[in-house]
Amino acid sequence: MAETLGQATAHGAEASRRDFLKILNVSAGAVAVGAIAWPFVDALSPSREAMSVVRPIVDVSGIAANTALRFVWLGTPIYIRKLTDKQIADNQFVVPDSLPDPANYADRVKPGYETFVVVIGLNTGTPCELLGNDPADPRGPFDGWTCPCDGSVYDPLGRVRSGPAPKNLAIPRFTFLNDAQIQFG
Amino acid sequence: MSETKWLDTRLPALESFRAFWSDPVLPRERPYLASLPVLITGALIFQFVSGLVLSLFYNPADAYNSIQFIDRNVNDGWLIHAFHETGTTMIFGAVFFSLFRALWLRSYKAPGEVLWFFTIAQFSLLLLVGYLGYVLSDGAVSYWSLSGTISGALGLNSFPGAIGTWFFGGADGPGTLARLAVFHAVLALAVFGILFLEYLARRGMEPKVTRGVGLHPYYTSQYFAAFVVFALIFAVLVFFAPHLGENPLNRGPADPLMLPVSVAPPWYLLPVGNAGHVFPGNWGSIFAVLARLAVLFALPWLDRSVPSKPAGFLHKLLVFILALDVILLAIWAMQPPSLIGEILSVLFTAYFFFHFLVLLPLTTALEKK
Repeated sequence: MAETLGQATAHGAEASRRDFLKILNVSAGAVAVGAIAWPFVDALSPSREAMSVVRPIVDVSGIAANTALRFVWLGTPIYIRKLTDKQIADNQFVVPDSLPDPANYADRVKPGYETFVVVIGLNTGTPCELLGNDPADPRGPFDGWTCPCDGSVYDPLGRVRSGPAPKNLAIPRFTFLNDAQIQFG
Repeated sequence: MSETKWLDTRLPALESFRAFWSDPVLPRERPYLASLPVLITGALIFQFVSGLVLSLFYNPADAYNSIQFIDRNVNDGWLIHAFHETGTTMIFGAVFFSLFRALWLRSYKAPGEVLWFFTIAQFSLLLLVGYLGYVLSDGAVSYWSLSGTISGALGLNSFPGAIGTWFFGGADGPGTLARLAVFHAVLALAVFGILFLEYLARRGMEPKVTRGVGLHPYYTSQYFAAFVVFALIFAVLVFFAPHLGENPLNRGPADPLMLPVSVAPPWYLLPVGNAGHVFPGNWGSIFAVLARLAVLFALPWLDRSVPSKPAGFLHKLLVFILALDVILLAIWAMQPPSLIGEILSVLFTAYFFFHFLVLLPLTTALEKK
C-alpha cells in the first residue's frame, strides 16, 4: 500500500486522500443520520404493551383432555382443544377424499403437539359460534362441534363432516413456544 | 443534461433552485453567527418531526397520563420527548441570542426595519407556541398558569375579551387542551412562513455583490460547521440535561385544589412573562408582555443614530447591561416570592423600559453629534 502511494504522482496521492476522506465523511454522516432517524421510526412501531395484545401468549397446560379453551383474540373466538386417544384413533385414518373439504390429521395439528387442535370457532357457513367445547354441549355424531344456527357438524379436528358449511374450520397463525405456551400472531 | 432540460421546461422550479444553490451572488465573507437563522430553521424542522411523533400518542383528554405513556411505554418515547423539550431550549437560546446580536449590531436600523419587524413577529409567535406547548404538559404548574390565563382573558371586556373567548373556547374545561394542541401545531407551522419572509427581507437588504460566491459549497460548508457546534450542544443537553430550565414541580399531575409552591414557567418564558405580577389586575400580565414586545417593535425609531455609523462604546455597554437586566429579572422570577424579590422585580422591569424609552434615544442622539 505504502509503495503504491509512493509511486503515485503528488496529484494522484492528493486525489486518493481526498477520496478516502470523502468516503469516510459520507459513511460517518450516513451512520449519524440513521442513528437520529431510528428513534423516530422505532417510536412509530407498536410498544411492547401493544404487541402483547396483538401477539398474545396463551397457557394451554391447564386444558383437560376432551375439553377446549375458548379465548378471544382481536375479536375472534379461538378454540384450543385437547384430544382424547379415542378421538385421535377415530379421525387419524379417515380417507381425506371422503370428506367435503379434504384434509388429513397432519394438516390439522402441529408436528410434535398432535394432541392440540387450534381453530377459529366460527362456522364457515353461517358465521356463528360453534358449540362443543364442553363435553356436555351438543357435539354431533363425530364428537366434535356443531353449529346452533345452521346445523353444520364438525369432527374434533375441525373438519366439516356435514351441513351447509363448505369448509373446514380456519386455523389461526400460531406457534408452540413450548409444551405449555402458544403464541398467536 | 437533456433530461434536465426536458423537466425544466415543464417544472421551471428546477432552474431557480440551481440559481439559488450555486449562483455566485453572495458576499465573500459572513460571520459564523450569521448562520443563526439557518440553525433556527433546522431546529424548527427537527422540532416539527419530533412533535409529529409525540402528537400520535398525545391525548388531550388525558394529557398528563398520555405523556407518562410516551415516556414509559412508547419505544424511545423518552428520547423523542427529550428531543422536543431540548429543541425548544435550543430554539429559544438561538432566538434570544440573535435578538441580543441585533441590538448589539443595531441591524434594526435602515434598511433592516422590515427584517426586524419579522424577527419580532417570529419571536412573539414562538413565545405563544412555546407557552402553548408548556401548558400542553398538563402538569401541576402549567395547569395553574393556564387556568389563570384563561380566567384573565375571559375577564376582559369587549374586543380583547372576545378574542380570549374565541381562542380558549370558554372556561378551562375538557376541550381546552385539545384545541390548544391544534393551535400549538398550526402556529408552529406559521413560524416557517415568517422565516421565509425573513429570508426574503434579508436577501432584499443585502448589497449587490459583483464577484461573489455561491451558496454551495461556500456557505453550505460554513453552515455545516455551525451546525456541528449547534448539534453538539443539542446532544449534550438531550442526554445530560433534558429538563433544563423547567420547573421540577411541573412533573407532578395537575391538582385543581392545590397551588404549587413555585409557579415559575420554563426558562424561555421568563424574560418576557416574568413581569406579570409587577403590573396589577387582569390587564397587568397582558400589558407586561405586550409592552415589552411593543418597545422592541418601535426600536428602529427609538434609536436616533445614523445607520452608517458603527455603534459606540456607550451603546454596547448599555445593551450589555440590558441583557444582564433581563437575565437577573428571570433569575428573580424563579425564586420563591419575597419582599426583596418583589422590589427587585419592579426595579429590573422599570430599567427595561427606562433603557428603551429614555437611555437609548438619549445616548444615540448624543453619539450622533
